Amino acid sequence: MLFLNSLFGYEARRKRLLNKVPQGALYDFLSVPFPSESTALSDLSIVSVDFETTGLNAATDKLLSVGYVSIDKLQIKLSSCYHQIIHIAPQLEQQNVIIHQITDQQKSQGKSLQVVVETLLKALAGKVMLVHYAQIEKHFLKQACIELYGVSPPFMILDTLAIEKRKLDQRNIAYDPQKLRLSTLRHTYALPNYFAHNALNDAIATAELFLAQQKSYGITLKELL
Amino acid sequence: MDDELAEITAFVASIPPFDLLSEPLLGKVVREIDICYLRAGEHLSSADTENPQLYLVRKGALRYLAANEELTGKYCDGDVCSIFCQKENITTPPCTVIVDEDALVYRLDFIALKALLIDAPEAIEFLENSSEQRLQSKKKKLSEDAIVSSSTSHTSVADFYHYPLATISPSASIQDAAIKMTDKEVSCLVVVDEMSQFEPSSDAQLGIITDKDIRRRCVAVGLPISNQVSDIMTLDVATIDIKCSAYDALIAMTSKHIHHLPVTKFGKLEGMVSTTDLINNEEHNAVNMTSIIHKASSISELVRVSKLLKKLQLKLTKLGANADHIGKSISAITMAFTLRLIEMAEQKLGPAPVPYAWLAAGSQARQEQLAHSDQDNALIICDTMKPEDDHWFEELATFVSDGLAECGFIYCPGDIMATNKKWRKPQKKWHQYFDLWVDKPTAKALLNSSVFFDLSTIYGDVSLLENVRQKMLAKTQSSTLFIAHMSANALRSRPPLGFFRDFVLIQDGKHNATLDLKHNGIAPIVDLARIYALSEGIAAVNTVERLTQCSGTQSLTKASAENLIAAYEFLTSVRLEHQGNQLREGQSVDSYIDPKAISKLEREHLKDAFKVIKAMQDYRQSAVI
Repeated sequence: MLFLNSLFGYEARRKRLLNKVPQGALYDFLSVPFPSESTALSDLSIVSVDFETTGLNAATDKLLSVGYVSIDKLQIKLSSCYHQIIHIAPQLEQQNVIIHQITDQQKSQGKSLQVVVETLLKALAGKVMLVHYAQIEKHFLKQACIELYGVSPPFMILDTLAIEKRKLDQRNIAYDPQKLRLSTLRHTYALPNYFAHNALNDAIATAELFLAQQKSYGITLKELL
Repeated sequence: MDDELAEITAFVASIPPFDLLSEPLLGKVVREIDICYLRAGEHLSSADTENPQLYLVRKGALRYLAANEELTGKYCDGDVCSIFCQKENITTPPCTVIVDEDALVYRLDFIALKALLIDAPEAIEFLENSSEQRLQSKKKKLSEDAIVSSSTSHTSVADFYHYPLATISPSASIQDAAIKMTDKEVSCLVVVDEMSQFEPSSDAQLGIITDKDIRRRCVAVGLPISNQVSDIMTLDVATIDIKCSAYDALIAMTSKHIHHLPVTKFGKLEGMVSTTDLINNEEHNAVNMTSIIHKASSISELVRVSKLLKKLQLKLTKLGANADHIGKSISAITMAFTLRLIEMAEQKLGPAPVPYAWLAAGSQARQEQLAHSDQDNALIICDTMKPEDDHWFEELATFVSDGLAECGFIYCPGDIMATNKKWRKPQKKWHQYFDLWVDKPTAKALLNSSVFFDLSTIYGDVSLLENVRQKMLAKTQSSTLFIAHMSANALRSRPPLGFFRDFVLIQDGKHNATLDLKHNGIAPIVDLARIYALSEGIAAVNTVERLTQCSGTQSLTKASAENLIAAYEFLTSVRLEHQGNQLREGQSVDSYIDPKAISKLEREHLKDAFKVIKAMQDYRQSAVI
C-alpha cells in the first residue's frame, strides 16, 4: 500500500488525469490540489458524504440520493449541507424504496445523476471525503464517474468504520463486527440517537462520529488515511 | 422548507426561545448551526468579544465557574448557554465555561442570529437580556394574564364606588338618618362634622351609620328614634383611597368584617364602596366565606366551612389571581376563623380580665398564607394583668388553638402558639424579649424567634403590639450587630444554582431530587425583606410591601427591590400552580417540585429568580463581613 501510494500518489494521479479530461466539472475537480498529507486535522477541510442506493453492487444497483455536509476547522457547517434525490428510470425503483423512505413525490423532484455528481465534485474539490464504510460511496462514485466521464478520478477518503476497526485491531481481541455499524458506534461514543435515516442525516451522523473518534486534533491527515 | 434536518430542527425548537419561531425561520436558524464536539476540560471561547457565540448543548455537560472558581451552574442536554450573548457580559463574561463531560454542541454566531431574527425581537431579547430583565418581563406577563382572567385585582375602587357621598351630621336624629337613607337609596351614611359638610376631609369623618346600626342599636333595643345619630354610629371607620385596587377594598372589608368603606380622593371623602358592589362584579366568595364564618355558631360549623378553604385557593388560582392577592384572601379568612373562635371563647369564659391582643405571627401576619398552613400565634396582655389572670388567657389560647387545629390549621411544630406560656405574656415582657433579641442576638435564638419580627394584631387592643413594634424598630435600625446576625441567619438557606438533567443543582455541584420552592426560593426573599425592613425601621410585615417601602433606601436600591419583587412573584406563582395541581388531584399540598415536571422555559425563569436571590444574598454577606 505504501509502495502504491508513493508510485501512484493522489497528487500524481490527479495531475495525470487532468491532462486527459476535457473542460467541465471533472476537469474543475481535478484542477484543485489535494491537501498535503502533513496537514493537521484541525486545519483540514473535509466533506462528509453518504449515498442511498438500491443495493450493494455498484455495477448493477443505482444511486438513489446523495447527502453531504462539510467540516471546517473541526466544525460541522450545517450551512453547507446538501441533500438531493436522483431521478432514476421507473423500472429500477422496485426494491429498497421503503428502506430509504423516498416517496414517489420526492422521486419526481429528483435531479439527474449528472447534476448531482457535478455538485458533489464541486464540493469535494481540494478536500478530503469522509464516509462510514467507504466501499459503497467509493464504488458508486467511481461507477458514476465512469458512466458520465469515462474515467474515475482519485478521491482522498477517510472512513470512520476503518478508523474504528484499526483501533479494535490494535487491541488484538475478538469483537462483534456489528459493533462497527454507524448507529452502534454512535452509541459507544455517547452521541445522541437519531432516527431519520436519509443521506444527509447519515452524513452528519458520520461527521459527528468522526469528531468524537479523535482523541487529539493535532494528528495529521497521513495518520488518518 | 424540508424535513431533511427534522431531528435537529425538532431539538432546537424544543429550547426556549426558539419555540417562539415560525417553521421557516427555524429552518434558517438550523442552517446557521456549526456542530462542535468538545472534550472534557476544554474552555468555551469567551475571549472573542467581537463575535459572541450561543451554544445549545445537544449531549454532554458544561460547567460555569465564577472568577473565584465557585461553581455557578451546570448545563447539559437541551440547555442553552447564552452567557456570552447577554448584553452586560459582552465585554467581560462573569464566568468561564468549561466542558464537564465530552459534549456535542450546536454553536450559533450571535450576530448572524440577530440579523436572522430581526423580525422576532422577543427571541433575541430572551437571549440577550439579563436574568433581572427576563424576570421583569415575566412579571409583566403574569400580571397581564391576571388582568385577562381576574377583574377586581386590577380595577381600581374608582370603577365601583357610589357618588356623591351621603353624609349626615352627628347631631341629626336617627329618624333623619333613616329618611335620608331612604331618599338617597343608600344603606350607609358617613357621619361628618357639620362645619365640614361641603368639603369633608377624611379627618372630618366621625363614623358611619348603616341600616344595620339602626336595626340593632336603635329599634331592637328600643332607643327613641329622636336620639342623635352619634348615639348609634360606628366610630373610627377605615377609608380607602380611590387609587387602590378593588381587591384591596375587598381585603380591607373582609379582614375587618365590614360591608361599607368610605372612599377618599386626595384626602377628601368622595364616595362609598360596598361589598355588594364588589361581589356583583366578581365571581369571588372570600367575602361570603368570612360572612359564613362570622355567623357560625359552633366549632363543627367552622370545621365544615374550613373544608372550603382549599377549594377557594384552587378557584382563585384558576381565576388567575396573583399570589399576593391569594395570600391576602386566605390570611383574611384565617383571621375570620380566629376572630370567631375568640368570640366563642369570650362567650364561654366571660370577658377578659384585662385588655389584650391576639397576635398572628409568620405567614399569616405577613398575609402570605396558603390553605392550611400551620398556626403561629401569641398573646400580648396589658401590664395591669395579675398572675391569676393568666388562667383566663390560657383557656382562651387553648380554646382558639384547638379550634384552629380542628379547622385544619395544624399546631405549630415549633410551639410558637399562645398556648405556650412563653408566648403569652404582658406587654412589658414582650418589650424585654425584643430588647434581648436585638441586644444579645445569637444565631440560634434568632432562628427560633425571627417569626416574631413578623407580627400583626388579629383581635384586641392594637396599641399593645404597636408600642412594642415602635420601640423594637427604633432599636433594630441602629443595631448593626443584630442586623449582622439576622443576615447570617438568612444566608443559611441558599437558592439552588439551577437544574442538571432531572436534578436540582445545589452548591458545590451536589444534586437534589426535588426543588424545595418554599425553603430555597421564597423563604430567602422573605428573610431578606425582613432584614431590609428592620434596618430601615419600616413597620410593614408583608414581603412585597416591605420591599416596596424599602425600595430606594440605603438597604435596598430601587432596581434590586424590583428584581426581588419580580422573583418573589414568579416563585409564588409557581408554587400556587403546583399546589393547584395537587388540589385538583385531591392530594395534600406542599412546595416540593419534581424537576421533571418543570418545563424548559420555567427552568430558565427559575434560574433567573435564583440568580437574583443569590446576588442579593452575596451582597448581604459582603455587608455582614
